[in-house]
Amino acid sequence: MAVKRKLIKERVPTPERPPEERIRDFAEVNLGYTFELAVKEAERCLQCPYNYAPCIKGCPVHIDIPGFISKLVEYRDNPDKAVKEALNVIWACNSLPATTGRVCPQEDQCEMNCVMGKVGDKINIGKLERFVADYAREHGIDEELLFEIVPKIEKKGQKVAIIGAGPAGLTAAGELAKLGYDVTIYEALHEAGGVLMYGIPEFRLPKEIVQSEIEKLKKLGVKILTDHIVGKTVTMEELLEEYDAVFIGSGAGTPRFINAPGINLNGIYSANEFLTRVNLMKAYKFPEYDTPVKVGKRVIVIGAGNTGMDAARSARRFGAEVIIAYRRGPEDVSARVEEVEHAKEEGIKFEFFLNPVEFIGDGRGNLKAVKFEKMKPLDEKDSRGKRKIVGTGEYVTLEADTVIIAIGKHPNRLIVNTPGLKVERGKIVVDENLMTSIPGVFAGGDAIRGEATVILAMGDGRRAAKAIHEYLTKKREEQRENA
Amino acid sequence: MYKILEKKEIAMRNTWYKVHAPHVARKVQPGQFVIVRAFENGERIPLTPVMWDREKGWIVLVVFTRGRTTMRMAVELKEGDEILNIAGPLGNPVPMKKFGKILAIGAYTGIVEVFPIAKAWQELGNDVTTLNVTFEPMVVLKGELEKAVSRHLVEPVPIDPNLDFPANMRNVTKRLIEKVRALLESEEWDLVFMVGPAGDQRAVFNVVKEFGVPMKVDLHPIMVDGTGMCGACRVTVGGEVKFACIDGPEFDAYQVAWDELIARSGYYTDLEARAMQEYMKALQGGEQ
Repeated sequence: MAVKRKLIKERVPTPERPPEERIRDFAEVNLGYTFELAVKEAERCLQCPYNYAPCIKGCPVHIDIPGFISKLVEYRDNPDKAVKEALNVIWACNSLPATTGRVCPQEDQCEMNCVMGKVGDKINIGKLERFVADYAREHGIDEELLFEIVPKIEKKGQKVAIIGAGPAGLTAAGELAKLGYDVTIYEALHEAGGVLMYGIPEFRLPKEIVQSEIEKLKKLGVKILTDHIVGKTVTMEELLEEYDAVFIGSGAGTPRFINAPGINLNGIYSANEFLTRVNLMKAYKFPEYDTPVKVGKRVIVIGAGNTGMDAARSARRFGAEVIIAYRRGPEDVSARVEEVEHAKEEGIKFEFFLNPVEFIGDGRGNLKAVKFEKMKPLDEKDSRGKRKIVGTGEYVTLEADTVIIAIGKHPNRLIVNTPGLKVERGKIVVDENLMTSIPGVFAGGDAIRGEATVILAMGDGRRAAKAIHEYLTKKREEQRENA
Repeated sequence: MYKILEKKEIAMRNTWYKVHAPHVARKVQPGQFVIVRAFENGERIPLTPVMWDREKGWIVLVVFTRGRTTMRMAVELKEGDEILNIAGPLGNPVPMKKFGKILAIGAYTGIVEVFPIAKAWQELGNDVTTLNVTFEPMVVLKGELEKAVSRHLVEPVPIDPNLDFPANMRNVTKRLIEKVRALLESEEWDLVFMVGPAGDQRAVFNVVKEFGVPMKVDLHPIMVDGTGMCGACRVTVGGEVKFACIDGPEFDAYQVAWDELIARSGYYTDLEARAMQEYMKALQGGEQ
């Protein structure tokens, strides 16, 4: 497109709800673009060539970003057409754009090397992706596109089982269904979505949107069996008898606790339990919803990752005073910049260089306070590139009636105990094709990485789908030769 | 979605559900449980398959009407309706070994969880005596247990209408302790097993401990997912933090930190009462 365009340095902002309003509910904070705003932002894109565009390289599933953005500009006089064309480009690589547009850490991925960053603000790729998906959903355009795609799928006649309906499993399922495989997902919980349903709060990712993206996968032919726990309801051996290949996307769902006295006092939650009650079970609507949750007047969240931010901001919405206590310094916080900013705007306080050593009870089994050792940084760095910290021998006690532990998670033990499955430090070992030690069994996402991100899990799901496709193509050819 | 094939009140506040759940029926072993979500806005609660038919694909759940969810189930679910979610089987099966002479105790509706375990132990060649201590109108599975084990004892405690519920429950605890003491004094036992409220488990354990008989307990901490991903059900056993849903639910009574378990079990009592009151109000409103 040899169109002369003027350089617009500043990003078109997306409207957000003000902090004082949004801390009273769980509705979405960021309201997203309108078509007009989306086109304005899309026009800023310099349209780097496909083979060169750094944004595509930065995206773990390699969406043709300039490609979908150009459609918004090209068909600016026909919003429905613009969105349909853009969605078609995105769907070639990503089946869950309404989700990824919201929760990806774009600043570390697609947007990281955006060329526009050299002259002004980077293109707001995430919000544009989200706009396309949202507009399509609201106007039935996604249904229209599915209606065109589904009849073209050529059935392969081979079956694939997927363990876990989180981002990795859903992505793999979507890709394999598009390739014509008969796909069944086994999910332990009562809803598909994994961390998208139980972990990430409504105010960042509305659950209706996740479910509507999953409904689309079902229309592609993906079957989902909820309430099925692989390792209990059905074994890996049984799956291998029934299916031609298996993908493990069971995540890292087992919370780490702190080995300190008082850890089992009432009022101490793992972030997983707290967020599952709030998000999946909608305990914030108790007693309209049956699941209770207790948030005291003063909440301390231990840990400063994305889970910590989600837990803190959720607790804040119950009216609590919330402190995030982190054993390292501000520069080591691993949560997304946008989330830290949102947390601060919402009145959450941060305390650095505090390491919990004891949880103090009231004598009746309830939490009353947390004793921390003050830490200090050293000049040396550890293996992860973070400054090492040591205890100072000085202590401080902070009162709290609720503590939420958000210091990380391990892969689920039920899966890891599968006979013949090679596991190192709780993580499933895979080769360069994401195949495990059991032939025909592939794995990806947090099950092989430990705790990582939604989009990395989706990238693994896509890579694994390709590898499974190659594996099953070979199998088909062998069967044909033997026949 | 799992169809209710049979639903009947088998005793006061005890409802029997025979449910089509072939994925559970195919695999369940004595000691394992399921997590049930009965309503769209409902919570997930742990329940125990009492009986099952692997070929026909059904399981039986006997549910004590204890609070909002179990009451809603008793009031709103009908034969032919469907239960939204039944996940399982979960937890570890109890060890199937020859222990010798076993006293298997079920307080209140806990006896329904004792049933499949006691039956399997007996079939394996153990000499099993089961004991059900509960309120008079709440005796369940009497005939079934009499057929399944060497000896089934029932200790029905009358409900005194002049006393409040906690005082009536203290009478059950008292009877439990007396009866267990009498049995331990008069006979030799190789193993005591118990299902019931944590407070009663501790009270019975304190008696068993005096006699030095090994004791196993099925623990009932609060659960959410039941698959090891949240730690709501964590208990301290032998000084270590364990998740009852994947490490249990059966543990050595001598290793359990009882005070902690009992405190944790009562954490939501106020909210549970509120949920129940709101439901009762809605029911009364609906009947007008």
